[in-house]
Amino acid sequence: MRDPYEVLGVSRTASDSDIKKAYHELVKKYHPDNYANNPLADLASEKMKEINEAYDAIMKARAGESQNAGSSYAGSSYSGSSYGYQSGQSSYGSSQYATVRTYLNNNRLDAADSLLGGMSNRDAEWYYLKGEIAFRRGWLDEARQYYQTACGMAPGNLEYQRAMQNVRGTYTPYRQTNYRQGSDLNDACNICNALLCLNCLCGGCNN
Amino acid sequence: MFGYVRPYRDELRLRDYDRYRAAYCGLCRALGKTYGFRARFLVNYDMTFLYLVRASARGGAPCRRCFCPARLFRKKPCLCDEEGFAPVAACTVILCYCKILDNILDSGFFKGLAYRLLKLLYRRAYRRAAKAMPQFDAVVTDRLKALNGLEQAHSASIDATADTFAAIVSACADDLPGDELRRPMQSLLYQVGRYVYLCDALDDLREDVRTDSYNPLRFRFSAGPEGLSDEDLRYFSQLMDSSVNLAGSALSLLPEQSGSPLLENIVYLGLPAVFTAVRAGRFRKQSKVFPRKETGS
Repeated sequence: MRDPYEVLGVSRTASDSDIKKAYHELVKKYHPDNYANNPLADLASEKMKEINEAYDAIMKARAGESQNAGSSYAGSSYSGSSYGYQSGQSSYGSSQYATVRTYLNNNRLDAADSLLGGMSNRDAEWYYLKGEIAFRRGWLDEARQYYQTACGMAPGNLEYQRAMQNVRGTYTPYRQTNYRQGSDLNDACNICNALLCLNCLCGGCNN
Repeated sequence: MFGYVRPYRDELRLRDYDRYRAAYCGLCRALGKTYGFRARFLVNYDMTFLYLVRASARGGAPCRRCFCPARLFRKKPCLCDEEGFAPVAACTVILCYCKILDNILDSGFFKGLAYRLLKLLYRRAYRRAAKAMPQFDAVVTDRLKALNGLEQAHSASIDATADTFAAIVSACADDLPGDELRRPMQSLLYQVGRYVYLCDALDDLREDVRTDSYNPLRFRFSAGPEGLSDEDLRYFSQLMDSSVNLAGSALSLLPEQSGSPLLENIVYLGLPAVFTAVRAGRFRKQSKVFPRKETGS
């Protein structure tokens, strides 16, 4: 395992609060939400794991050192929740859609695409999955068109709406505001949506 | 399509600025060493970016003061990383040669003659480069053919046309070992390639409408002689923003080196600044060195 201090990018003499700060910065950077529907999500979650382990290791070691002084470390590292596709929103049933989602999770885009191409029933889910494939390929214009259709057909579906906001760059709960691009934040409805989602997803990181 | 990928100077730290310049000079030097003096003229900002991206996986290279033919009496600091520059120099020569070939097809008789002369001048360098990176050369030839096909068919898909160019750019990282390193790099280069292609398309849009030439934006948004409508432009800008975000999330996954603030500057600030300038029709008129801060709106 790499040196935990190196992973967090802090010196060995850094104070606990500095380490915490560095840790939170990194969590923001590699948070699963920043990699939603992203083909690199697996690499990001590995990175996240490494950061969590490093933070835990440092905090444990420091707690051990200062036990005589009476302080103890109560593990408070961020427990990453990964939003897999299995998470329930899609009760549309069709086993073919489930297969497509498995393909997507494994980054087998061509297989997913050809399976969808063979289906005649084109409902909201179909358009959404088509959009997913396009998004993972980096074909953003097409992805947006598909998401738009999916949202139009199933207006209440949060998963579709999140994907739509993601492709528009407005779904930015954990993004570094000084850098990330997104010019469409002035829509009151979007802000409410974003806050709602944030509230649902953010339970893991209160400290 | 060169010159769209640059750092944003006003937000650049001095050491990053120095490193960028040293990488630029290093690429120029590497081109000269391997492909002869005239290849030095092919050095450009975009390929410097490519080097910096690829160099993020390597340790720091030594910086020495080297002779510069553009400044006869002063030596300039220059990154000396033979191994790192070799593939980038080969990519540069191959891409520039293809650009020359493309220009021959696109221009009239007299201008075409000039490009034919250039083609002769760079033919030997191209052959050497193609020998050094045969797979990349094959990808470039193949994708440009696909792009030509789409142009002939007047494709209205900006994704498909941009994909051909983006695939070429992302192929610049194909030779790297290790999935963990290659995948984010390819993803980053893909989005940057897409961005460059679409910036260029927007830049040329009015001219293309005037001369009735192919431009993907023209068919996608049915643009008139005034360019895109405000609404289309807004939509298009959002697409470009998403590209930057995706490029950024890929950039975060590159191994961390001293170079990452410089790369972040280029991706998060340089690219959007260039796009804003293109959008306002100021890009070509702007000073050619590093985009400056916007004045006014």
